[in-house]
Amino acid sequence: MILTVTPNPALDKFYWVAELPKTLGPVEEGIVVRAEKSLTSAGGKGLNVSMFLAAHGVETVAMGFLAGHTGQIILRDLLSRGVSANFVWIEGENRTNVALILRGQEYHPIHIHEEGPSIPKEAVGIFLRKYEAMLRKANFVVLAGILAPGLSPDFYRELARRAREKGVKVVVHAGGEALLHTFRERPFLVKPDVREAPRLGDLSVRTKEEIIAAGKQAIQEGVELCLISHHLTGDILISADGVWEFETSVPLSTFRNLVGADDALVGGILLGLTRGMDLIESVRYGMAAAVASAEVEEKLCLDQGKIAKEMEHVEVRYLGAK
Amino acid sequence: MKVRDFVRRDLSAVERDTPVIQVIKLLDNSGLSSLPVVDEEGKVVGVISERDLIRALIPAYVDMLHSASFLPSLDRLAKKLREIGNHPVERYMTKEVVVAHLDDTDLHVADLMLRKGLKQLPVVDEKGHLIGLVRRIDLLSRL
Repeated sequence: MILTVTPNPALDKFYWVAELPKTLGPVEEGIVVRAEKSLTSAGGKGLNVSMFLAAHGVETVAMGFLAGHTGQIILRDLLSRGVSANFVWIEGENRTNVALILRGQEYHPIHIHEEGPSIPKEAVGIFLRKYEAMLRKANFVVLAGILAPGLSPDFYRELARRAREKGVKVVVHAGGEALLHTFRERPFLVKPDVREAPRLGDLSVRTKEEIIAAGKQAIQEGVELCLISHHLTGDILISADGVWEFETSVPLSTFRNLVGADDALVGGILLGLTRGMDLIESVRYGMAAAVASAEVEEKLCLDQGKIAKEMEHVEVRYLGAK
Repeated sequence: MKVRDFVRRDLSAVERDTPVIQVIKLLDNSGLSSLPVVDEEGKVVGVISERDLIRALIPAYVDMLHSASFLPSLDRLAKKLREIGNHPVERYMTKEVVVAHLDDTDLHVADLMLRKGLKQLPVVDEKGHLIGLVRRIDLLSRL
């Protein structure tokens, strides 16, 4: 079973628009932007990973904190997609994240993200007990996404520590301090979120050389595998054994919705490993799942045939032990 | 149709030593009317419902008479809740749990719910671990 933890779940709302106003116009007039199409889905990195895995027949349990009407909608969507849910209910309302996608520029969406409810200490205590119980059944745990207000930056580190003690492999799919603090708990795989700030700790991760240097640093600090996005269609995997570059030649114009693509990447890697593929093939599969997801309007591509086809385009280059 | 086809894989539950006041909060925030009570291994050992909690708060004679009109005021309930708020939920849960299994038929589950007057049933695996629940509406919506 693959356990995912999403401390700050969201309801994702996608709006596709034909055009956006270039100027705001007179102050007294409101601006109406009509959506050609909209979609709503449970969201947050861990939930996306769980939805991807469940659709491919992998047993997965999603954990985190739910609140209010938005929490009810998130739960309903998750359950309808075959994800087992084990959440702590708190007061307040889960966040809604909006993505405004302009036709023709789908690779450059506008995001509006809410902050999410604050997590009381009491709820953290309840969560940790549930988490301990779920770890007994897990092979992997995925710690994913931004922390909710009220949680310590050490939250993921504590979860990683408990997982390691039980022999459960940890994947950290997050960014900032919360990610860095987990390194000393020797996670199996980290996939830093560098969308908002292309940095890993003090190190920039803009160029290939910078990514490799930052990845090596993470390995030295205890991480087993570090996977960092180079650009939209390229990733670099760094381990103690060497460095691999994954690249797919897909024009940006084929993209319809980028949200969730990196979660499909993590889900695809775990799916590959669960099915007995070796590490490099698993990352190739993950990358194919990410590209296939970016090419559909729904957040995640769940069509195994399409993913298999995309896999043919994913090239791997071994860059040596460096 | 079997339970596995319509089980709601919601693992919401509380542990035996969860304080009563925390259970009330969880029921309120989740919108559920009852929660399974599980042990450290996730095995279902009881169910705590709104009804169990009300029973714990009101004097026995009121329950017997099936009417709250015999209560002098709700202040007594509030006072009682302050008394038992930190008690572990296992003191008030229903211990004889009616459960469903993944291979039970919809007819069997409907019969259980009707006969026992239950709104929802925990679904457990062969070892008694919680794997979800079935609500009356899950059956009704599939008729």
